[in-house]
Order: sequence, then structure tokens, then C-alpha cells
Amino acid sequence: MDVLLNWLANSPDFAVPYALAALGLILTERSGVLSLGAEGYMLIGALVGVGAQLAFGAAGISLFLAMLAAAVVSLLFALMVITLRVNQVIAGLAIVFFCQGLSSLLGTLLNWTNQAIIGTGAVPLGALADIPLFGHILFHQNIVVYLTVPVFILVTLFINRSTTGLRLRAVGENPQAADAAGLSVGWYRLGAIVAGAALVGLSGAYLSVYSTKLWVAGMTGGRGWIAVGLVIFARWSPWRALAGALLFGCIEALIPQLAAAGVKLPQYFVLMTPYAVTLGVMVWVALAKSGADNEPGALGQPFVREERG
Amino acid sequence: MPELVPDMNPLALPGAPPSAAATPPGTVPSPDVGPSGVADAGATGGADEGANGVASAVTNEATSGVARTARRVPLASRRFTVEIRQQLAWHWQALILAIAILAGMAISAAILIAAGIAPKDLLNEFVMQTFFDKQNFEAVLFQAAPMIMIGLGASIAFRARFWNLGLEGQMIFGAIAATAISLYEIGPETTRLPLMFAAAASAGLLWALGPALLKLRLSVNEIISTLMLNYLASNFLLHLVYGAWKDTKDNFPHSPQFRAFERLPDVFAGLSSAIPLALFVALLAWWFVDISRAGLYLRFVNANPRMADAVGVPVRKMTLTAVLVSGALAGVAGFVVAAGQEGRLTQSFYTGYGFSGILIAFLARNNPLAASVVAILIAGLFVTGRSLQVFYQIPFSMVQLIQAIIVICVACSDFFIRHRLRPVVGRGA
Amino acid sequence: MPVALELTGIRKTFDGFVALDDASFAAHWGQVHALLGENGAGKSSLMNIAAGLYAPEAGRMMVDDNPVRLAGPSDAAKHRIGMVHQHFKLVRPFTVAENILLGNPLSHVDGGFRAKLRQMETAIRAMAAELGFEIDPLKRTALLSVAEQQRVEILKVLLAGANILILDEPTAVLTDAESERLLSTVQQLARRGSAVILVTHKMADVKTYADQVTVMRGGRTIKTVDPKQTPAAELVRLTVGEAVTTPKRGTGTPGEVRLAIRDLKSAGSGRQALAGVSLEVRAGEIYGLAGVGGNGQSELANAIMGLPGALEGEMRLEGLGDLKAASTSARREMHIATIPADRYGVALSGALSVAENFGIGQVHTGRYGSAWRLASSTMEADAKAAVASFDVQGVRSIRQKAALLSGGNAQKLVIAREFSKQPKLVLAHSPSRGLDVRASAEVHARLLAARDAGAAVLLISEDLDEVMSLADRIGVMARGRIVAEFGQPAERQAIGQAMVDHA
Repeated sequence: MDVLLNWLANSPDFAVPYALAALGLILTERSGVLSLGAEGYMLIGALVGVGAQLAFGAAGISLFLAMLAAAVVSLLFALMVITLRVNQVIAGLAIVFFCQGLSSLLGTLLNWTNQAIIGTGAVPLGALADIPLFGHILFHQNIVVYLTVPVFILVTLFINRSTTGLRLRAVGENPQAADAAGLSVGWYRLGAIVAGAALVGLSGAYLSVYSTKLWVAGMTGGRGWIAVGLVIFARWSPWRALAGALLFGCIEALIPQLAAAGVKLPQYFVLMTPYAVTLGVMVWVALAKSGADNEPGALGQPFVREERG
Repeated sequence: MPELVPDMNPLALPGAPPSAAATPPGTVPSPDVGPSGVADAGATGGADEGANGVASAVTNEATSGVARTARRVPLASRRFTVEIRQQLAWHWQALILAIAILAGMAISAAILIAAGIAPKDLLNEFVMQTFFDKQNFEAVLFQAAPMIMIGLGASIAFRARFWNLGLEGQMIFGAIAATAISLYEIGPETTRLPLMFAAAASAGLLWALGPALLKLRLSVNEIISTLMLNYLASNFLLHLVYGAWKDTKDNFPHSPQFRAFERLPDVFAGLSSAIPLALFVALLAWWFVDISRAGLYLRFVNANPRMADAVGVPVRKMTLTAVLVSGALAGVAGFVVAAGQEGRLTQSFYTGYGFSGILIAFLARNNPLAASVVAILIAGLFVTGRSLQVFYQIPFSMVQLIQAIIVICVACSDFFIRHRLRPVVGRGA
Repeated sequence: MPVALELTGIRKTFDGFVALDDASFAAHWGQVHALLGENGAGKSSLMNIAAGLYAPEAGRMMVDDNPVRLAGPSDAAKHRIGMVHQHFKLVRPFTVAENILLGNPLSHVDGGFRAKLRQMETAIRAMAAELGFEIDPLKRTALLSVAEQQRVEILKVLLAGANILILDEPTAVLTDAESERLLSTVQQLARRGSAVILVTHKMADVKTYADQVTVMRGGRTIKTVDPKQTPAAELVRLTVGEAVTTPKRGTGTPGEVRLAIRDLKSAGSGRQALAGVSLEVRAGEIYGLAGVGGNGQSELANAIMGLPGALEGEMRLEGLGDLKAASTSARREMHIATIPADRYGVALSGALSVAENFGIGQVHTGRYGSAWRLASSTMEADAKAAVASFDVQGVRSIRQKAALLSGGNAQKLVIAREFSKQPKLVLAHSPSRGLDVRASAEVHARLLAARDAGAAVLLISEDLDEVMSLADRIGVMARGRIVAEFGQPAERQAIGQAMVDHA
């Protein structure tokens, strides 16, 4: 019973990075820009999060700086895909490897590697946390976990129920129509890229500052790529992405619990689980595809106004 | 101006100021602000303001303008339009590419200097030591062999519009298969090495088969599927070298050493047979891509798969073939590293090859002969990176950073090849 | 009469190709001014400049006698210029109200998003009632018919306050009856004071509805005349230059049935899907399939071409048998020539050379070397010969990229490839789309020649004139089915009626 409770209580912690990263990706991709740089933004966010926490000790500042750093890096990506119309797959891959190299280099040079973080922990919500069973699971989490659902609500409302969100979706579905309506395709995509990257950076910072509480080069271990798969699996719907993130969180949380319960599994096969599940999920989605999904109509195609047919 | 139509408009939206004002709003210079201030399709920030904003700004200018001159001259505002180019002479393309690569190298050099390497040492390390020192040059050539194969593998897959990011995983399984032949002593001594080679090629091919079929049959995105398989492969490798295949002699996470006849021999002193093997494979790739009929088919698949299908090109067969060849090449690269450089199966021999392959294919524009040349240069980068690690404590990921910077510069320069910027000087009055 | 919109001395090039050279145009308030010219004359480019989508390299623009320079489409909207494009700029998953709200933000309306949408819906209903349209603002545009989508586009520009209305080839996608409705509506708008500019290549529309017509040819403005005072022949002369001989249809000698389609159905729903097509094409005849686009023509063409898609029913080719199940190689043996509608999407690869685009048709036969070695020199020689005999212009080197060819020459290259072996069946889908009169005539001549040589020709076209001038028998396609068939000489009225009855 304890194992079950612990498992459920730990799952949100594992789910949050996937959830926030997926949300950021959805925001960017709704504007028609294929974002493969998630792994890179996550690493930058993780690195800066740790560095800021070591320097300032205030989680709020660290998270903010991490988001800022990821947003700044995403400007490079935006320059490439919006202004210079670089193929979005190449640009995304380049950004990922750029961030991997840069974060590893900076982590070593600035001596941030393997330094333990203090000052981030669970924030029990008063009396609610004392409720037997559920209190421990739902109300004994850290602040970012609490904020995740409100953030999801905010972003979803923005996309679906605001004028700016309408225009963003128009830019993603049919940039020619948006352009003819007088919208600046470039600015909307820039906004979506930067905001999306900030969210992904936040997910990385959460990983290093709250979850593992240290920085090691390459610590995201492919979560950014899994988030990309998650978005496809969720068919670009934020709520489905949240559900998917919870699923992955539960799976990841299960591993240490099983070990603690004494179940003996080959170590490296267990480590393969998230990747195998991602692959499985992608195949399942492809098999179940009825044809109609929410893929933004112009996803991945650069926009040129004067293109002559 | 007739007011009848506005009456029809139940929204009564504001339009341009009535003609009585006689001020030309269009001559307010449009701000050149934007993601780079250049592209037409980018920002037209000023124009998005409400009409009222424009009108009041204009009236102010108009009154002062009228006072000064009878005829308004628009403020100099050069704007650019972006046009797509159909063709650019190859020498211009080469020049733009060269400038991009130099820019990338300059930025990388700046980062290295900022990281603490003295500028004159840079030139020494990168050029002199790498290419002109005999021992190091041999190391570069040795390193180039698997690099060439990976580059070819990437190029061929990209030609079929298949983003094979799983080269590292295919390389891993190639090395694993070769190691298995050694560990289980399959085949007599004389044929052991060729068997290892064949096993490696098959293993790499098979590890690429899954994503290929998934894409062709179910349209599963190959970027994610190949990457996930990479992680599966690397974990399986760790499982083997930390587990069943761990060398009991020294308890390090690597397999027992290959026997002498299981290693790639030297052709003559200092030149491993890996190199002629790589060159031979490069020639085969060149034949496949440029000489054979399949190469023509592949060109059509690359340009437009739908059109290729319509004119009768066997698109699926060609794509599958290309991906499988790519996997086999990666597998052989794994064999070359294991049986050549390392002499055993190690835990991280594959690091950095995946992106290197993408870089090589991208710079060489998927051309096999160019890819071979670029691969040698990347091999030089690898060797230099290792000595930077040893002598200057710069982590090996610096190499990845440099590669990414070069890819970014070259990708950006493509804009100037594919597009033309035309200044548009409109004369409003 | 004051001038609403005036363009003078406009010059515009695209990557070296001169689209407009010293073009001028002036539209007056209260008039319908037609801009007449054949495909490639530059009319759309000129109006795209007026609507702020392109920037000219030289020239001046005046709105209501004020000089202006447009920075983009929103600038044009501020000057109350609204354009209804040939290819609609609608976001398909959005509702009508959302689409119109996109460009008309209602910034002066208080309240949130919901409030603005409601305001917009009211405004749409009011405007639609005024114009005599029936539009449900809450319907998704993806579910609207083409004519309805066009009405949404018109509402969009009118609600933005446009009083200079530009319509780019509006009747290209409409039936005769729908065209009539549309053109009388815009005529009404003009009578109420707006300036309406009608970009078209249809002489009949110009004569009936326009007050003035400016003729363009080769990127230049030729002359502005009163269409009601000018005889049709004169207008043709101005548009085309000198007389172009249109090929005579004559009569073919129909032989046995080559292509038999019975009750062909495709998966999916909606107007596009095939809902039981039955037709027969005989050797030595041209069967013309008329009908407004979007009624299953592309699906039918794709089915005959063998592109992937689930099909039920019968499709038999004489000598081959079941065409649905035929392999690519068996299909190629049968010499089926296809001229698809989407030239650079399906027929040619712009990035590859002229020689390769030509050679791909026969490379599988081994004519250009074995699988081991491609004989490019033979391929290039063959291509050169074909280019010469099919009169493909603009080929400076046989190795140049196919994308450099103009529309008409690209089409001729496609025909050169497809007709290099005497075809048994020819499928021509909108073969003269985007081509000028001369190139169209050449294409038509080739189709007639193929028929005379004994091929069965299936011509699918949205251009009723083309169908009527070429076809020996005419079928009307609507909603995925053949709804009527006519022999020649056919009555245009009757054909138009058949299209409408089932719309």
C-alpha cells in the first residue's frame, strides 16, 4: 500500500517536465513552426536554473532566469526559421546540438557540475495536506506542481478564447490568409517561438532545481524528444498532452518504487522504458489514426509572401 | 468620395482619413523593425497601429511639411522584398558556402579563446598539429574511416527524404554484432573478420528497418522513432558491457579484447585497412547515387515524392533501400571503430557520430564524394577535440558546439542562395 | 468622374522574369472596370500590387487622387481597397465569423473575444441580407461550397470598409448561374458608388457587366475601351495580338471502348469523393468531362493515374484488364499518357533537369542504360529531339532546371514526355490552365492529333469553352457522379443547367 501511495505522490514530480515542455511545444507549433529544439531549451533551462540557484538561492529568480535564457536561445532559432527561412528540421536539430555543446561547456567552465542544490522542496498546503491518503498525494507537492494546472488553463484559454489566440491559430493554419488579413506572420511566430521556448526552459529548470537538485551534462536524457512525441500523440491538444505527461510521469515514478519494493529487473532495460513507451505510443497513435487531427495546416512550412506559383 | 458604401457597413469601421486632409498616409516611412528589418513578410509594425494613430502622426507632419515645401518628398526608406531564386551559378554557391564555413570557424575560435586558449595555440592545434604532424595525421585518417561511412549513411538516407537520426544506434548494433562474432568465435580464423563485417552491416540494416517500415506503412515520424531507438541501443550496450560481456580480466565496462586476426590489419605501416575500405565504400556510394539508375529514381524521390510516384518511380522501394543501405553503412562504421580503433566493444565509442553525420551530409549536400572530403575535415575536428580535452581541459562537447555553429552558419547562408533581396525604393509623390 | 484607383508606370519582375512593364490602370468610382487579358498577361500581378501584396520596382499609385505607397495588405485595407483572390484566403477550420474577425479586429468594440464574435455575427447577417446572400456566420468555412466561400470573401472585404473592390478571376470556379448572380451583385455595388475592378479572361463577362475594360498583354497595358461599344473581335485582337488559329475539332473515328468505368467509388465523404462514376471512352474520340472544380474530378484523375487510395467498382482498360489493381510496370506497358492539372506538383520536378524530367518516362524500359549504369548522354539526346519536335521554348541547356520553363513550355515538355510513345489512353486534366491562347491552341492541337491517331482521350476541364471546342462527347460531373451526357453539337445552356441542377 505504501508503495502505491509513494508512487502516486511522486508521479507529479516526474510528470511536470513533460507537461510543461509539451505545452511550450504546442504553443510554438500552433503558429505553424515545427519545434524540434525542445531538448536544447530544456538543457539550457536546467543549466541556468542550477547556476542561478547556486548564485542567488531563490527559486523564483532561478526559474525566471532559466526561462529567459531559453527564450534568448530561441531567438536564434526564430532568426533562422522566420527571417532566413531555414528548413525547420535542420534548424531545430542544430539548436539542440548547439545547446548540448554550450551547456556542457559552460557547466564545466563555470564549475556548476554536480553541485547540490538547496532551498527547493515540497510546500504542504496546510490543513489539506493532512487529509489521509489524498492529502499526501495531492497537497504535499512543490510550488511548480501546483502551478502547472493553472498554467495549462491559462495557455489553453489564450489559444482558444482570445483574439490573439485566434490570430495565432490562423497563422499556423493558413499563413497566406493571415497575411492577407493584415497580420504579421513573422511577429506571431516569433512570439510563439519565444513563449514556447520559455516554457520548455522552465521544464528543464524544474528538472534540475526541483527534481534532481543538481546539474550534469546531458541530464535531460531525451525528455525533450519524448515531449515532441508526446505532442504528436496528444494531437496538439494541451489537455491530452497533460494526460500523456501524467502517464509518463507515472511510468517513470514506478521504476524506483519497484526497486524499493525489491522487484529485481535488469537495470538498463528498466531505463529503456520511457523510450520504448514513446515509441509504442507513436505506433499506437498511427494505427488508430482516423485521418482527422489537429495538426496545424501549415506546420513546418516557411512563409514567403512573394512566392510565385 | 461617395459615402454610400460606408452606410452599408454596419460596423462603421474607421478607414483612411477623408480626402479633405489631402495628406498621404502612405508616405509615412514604414519602420524597418522586424526580426531582421529586412524581409517583407516580416514585421510591418507601424502599419498595424490603428488608423487613428497614423492619421494624427501624419497630420503633424503634414502641417510642418506644408509649411516648408509645396511637394512632399517621402523620407528615405529603403525596404527590401524577398524573392525566391530558381538558380544560382555554382561558383556563387561555393563562395557563399565558403564564407559561411569561415564565419562558423571564426565564431568557434572566438569561443575557444574565451574559454582560455591563446590564439596562436589555436592555429597550431587545429591546423599544424592535426594535418601536418605525421602521427596525428594518421590518427585523423584512421578517424576518418568511420566518419566517411557515417557521412555516406546520412547522405543516402537524406536523399530519400528520410531523417535517419538513428545512425548512432545502428552503429552500436553493428559493433555489438561484430563483437558477438568474436565472443562466440563464429567461423574459422581466416573468415572471422569478413564475418564480423557482414554481421555488423546486417545488424545496422536491421536496426534501421523498424523505423523505415513504420514510416512507410504507418507514417510514423522517423525523427522520433530513430532517436528513441538510439536510446534503446545505448542502454542495451551498457547492459552488455556492464553485464554479460564485461571483461573479467580488468572489470572495466568493455568487452574482452579482440584477437589479433579479429582486428583490422594495417595495409602498410601506419595506414589501417579501414581507410581503403572507407574509400571503397565511398566509391560504391557514388556509383549508387550518380551512376546507377536507382540514383535517378532517388533524385526524383528527393525532389518530389508525389510526383515521382505519379510518373512511375518505385518510391517506397527506393526509400526502403536507401534507409537500409544507410543503416548498413552505420553498422559497418561501428565495426570499423570496434575492430579498428578500439579493438573491443566499449561503452561510448559512438558519441558524436550522429550529429557529425548530419553535418557532413548537410555540408556536402548529400554528395558522396564531397561527403568523403568533409568527413576527413570533421575527423580532424574530432582529433583536435580530443587533444583540447587532454591538454586544455575543454570538454569534448566543444566539438559538438563547433559543429552546431558551422551547421547554423551554413544553414543561414542558404538563404542567400535560394533568395534574392531587391531594394524597393518607391516614390510616392 | 473622379478616379478611385490609379496605377501608372508599374514595373515588377520576379527573379528576372518581367511580369509587368510600364503598366497603367485607372478605375473610377461607380463603375465596373474590367481588366482583361489572357493567362500570363500580368493582370493578377498588377492587382496584387494594388492590394499591397507585392511591392513594385517602379511606378506610382494613387487612391482617390492621393499618392500612396502600400506597406502591406493592412495598408491597402486602410485605404479601403479590398481584394477577393482567386485562391481564397480563408482559414478552413474557422467559422465564417472567426475568419472575418481575423482581419477586422473590432478594436472599437468593448468586451472580450466572445463579445466581438457576437458583434461580428450580427454585422455579417446584416450585410449579407443587404446583398441578398444567405450565409450562416457560425458555419465552418471548410463545409461551405466554393460559391459560398467566395461570398464570405466578399463580405470580409466589405465589412472591412472597402469601397474599392478587386475581384481576381471570380467566375473561374463558378457555374454559369452562380457567375451571373455574383456579377450582378457586384454591379449593384458599383451602382451604389464603389469602384469595382474585375480581373478576368472571359470576354462574355466583360461585355455583359463591365462599364470600361482595360486590356493587358505581356505585362503591358494595351488600351482602355468601352466594351459595349467595341466589337468582340476587336477585343480579341487587343487581347491576343494577332489571330491565333484555333484547331478544328473535326470528327474522330470512334472505335472500341478503351476505358470503361462502372460505378467507381472512393473512400471518404463530401463532394470530392467519387460516388459511383460510370463512363466509357472509346478509341479515337475525346470525351470531355465538364463541371465545376471540387466535384470529384481530381479524385477521378488520381484514380486513373493510379495514385494511392481505396477504390471500389470497376475500372477496366482494354488490353490490360482491371486498371485499379494494375502494377506500375503493367500500367506503363499500356502507354497511358497523363497530363495532370498540377504541373509542378505532380507532372514535373522543378529542381531536376529538363532531360531528367523527359527521360523518367522511359528509363525503365532500358532505353537509357541498364539498372547498373544510366546512359545520360542518350537521355539528353532524346530529350533534345523531343524539345525540338514539340516546340518547347526557353530551353537554353537540356540540363537546366525544369522550373525555369514558363507555364506553356512546361506543359509542352509534359506532353513531349507523355506522347513519346503513341499513347493508347490520354488523360488530360485542365491541360490549358494558366496557359495563354497560343500555348492552349498548341496543346489542343496535340490532343486532337492523339485522337486522330487512335487514342482514347479523357479531357477533364473546368473550362466549359475548352470542353465544348474539343470534345466529341460531353459528360457533366457533379458530386462525384456523371449526371448527364451530351453528344455534339451540344447546347451550352443545357450543360450549364445540368451542372447547376445537381450542385
